[in-house]
Amino acid sequence: MRRLVLKIHLVIALVAGMFMMILGATGSVIAFEPELDRLLHPGLSYFASTGKVRSLAEIGDAASRKYGGEPIVAFLLPASPHVTTEVIMPRGIVAVNQYTGEILGVRTRGQTFLGFARALHVRLATGDVGRNIVRWSAVAMLFSLVSGLYLWWPLKRVRIRGPWWSRGFWFDLHNAVGILCLLPLLVLAGTGTVIGFEDQVASLLDKPAGSVSIHTAPTLTRPEPEPGAIQITPDQAVAVAAAQVPGAVAYRVQMPRYGGVYVVALAFPDNRITGDRNSVSINPWNGKIIATTRSTELSTGERFVATNEAIHTGTILGIPGRIIAALVSILLPVQALSGLIMWLRRTRIARPE
Amino acid sequence: MKRKMAVVFLLVVSAMAGDPTGNLTGKWSGAFKVDGGDHEVPQLFILKQQGKTLTGTGGPNASEQYPIENGRVDGDHVTFELTTGEWKFTYDLRQSESRELTGELKLESVGDSRTAKVSLARVKGD
Repeated sequence: MRRLVLKIHLVIALVAGMFMMILGATGSVIAFEPELDRLLHPGLSYFASTGKVRSLAEIGDAASRKYGGEPIVAFLLPASPHVTTEVIMPRGIVAVNQYTGEILGVRTRGQTFLGFARALHVRLATGDVGRNIVRWSAVAMLFSLVSGLYLWWPLKRVRIRGPWWSRGFWFDLHNAVGILCLLPLLVLAGTGTVIGFEDQVASLLDKPAGSVSIHTAPTLTRPEPEPGAIQITPDQAVAVAAAQVPGAVAYRVQMPRYGGVYVVALAFPDNRITGDRNSVSINPWNGKIIATTRSTELSTGERFVATNEAIHTGTILGIPGRIIAALVSILLPVQALSGLIMWLRRTRIARPE
Repeated sequence: MKRKMAVVFLLVVSAMAGDPTGNLTGKWSGAFKVDGGDHEVPQLFILKQQGKTLTGTGGPNASEQYPIENGRVDGDHVTFELTTGEWKFTYDLRQSESRELTGELKLESVGDSRTAKVSLARVKGD
């Protein structure tokens, strides 16, 4: 039995080991994607806050004036007073100091290093084939961890002995890392597997509960202006939305030129799982609410998918959770590499015999 | 003379029937699926063609429509852009013999870039 389990463990590692390495390395990078992105573009992200925050209308005017009257698509509001307000325009994302109205620069659309890391993690930076390899690699990782536990059990090795070039060192390292990180690795692999098949899981959960997914919500009627009507400002739209979802903070405002209505997205800062899934659609001509989506009204499937993702990324525990997710992810390449070295040395010794 | 006119008429009609570059003004619907994505995204366009310039709106349905930017028609080659928020959609389409618009769609946000195949057909009764 042990021989069979070892064979399965080896075959899984040889087939999916490379993909597990990629998933681990990229996962550790994207665990802190927003922070790394700001670090890579400090001039467009941070500044010392002083004075009174300008209105969104003023910020939008400043950005539009700077770029030849180009229209505003949406505003991304900062979560911290030292972070810029971002104005989305057709040319890209414009960073604005919300205290002075100064335009700090523009970021054009297109893939970056962090975007490539994310694409690798989600679909091996390819299409449907990559997506399928990733989802089945997560399943393979689950089998690999369970079979690894079975193989570890009789020896129960936790200490690392010998110099790094000895076979014993890699054997011990593989055993120690595997057992000490077993639980978080199982969580990452389990939640990763669910993400790979989340559409199927969500539909399974929603069917018996009879919940309605927001993806199937009825479409809105596009409001038309009365003669002589003047649009409300984005600041007024934010005030209307905030009153509709008390306690939530607006983080995104979509302008009516793009989509027909104001759409204000709001988040409850204390709810790390589904807290940002609130939105209020507002008639730009009279300020009346057309539709409201609340995070408390999500379907069972949507709630499950969001919780699973929050566990996978570590955001469910805030910064400590994300640090754990990043550290555990970086150990995946260590496991794959130590396993490979063990296997290579094993065959090298076996051949002369 | 009558026979000559009939031949010319038939030639003109057959040339028009085989010409894939008819005026695009009207409603077009279809869908796209991003490579590596799970969902098919519905598309509805209300196009206005004036010479080589293409304007109008597009989006997932009739109520959620975004303005078309940099629209251009060059023979059977149709290109235009749509900004929906963080994402910019760049369409590069060809008008086929069956009067469908098919081609590539590039989706770009700050940091990310994806591609999709898109196919649009004129809405019946339009």
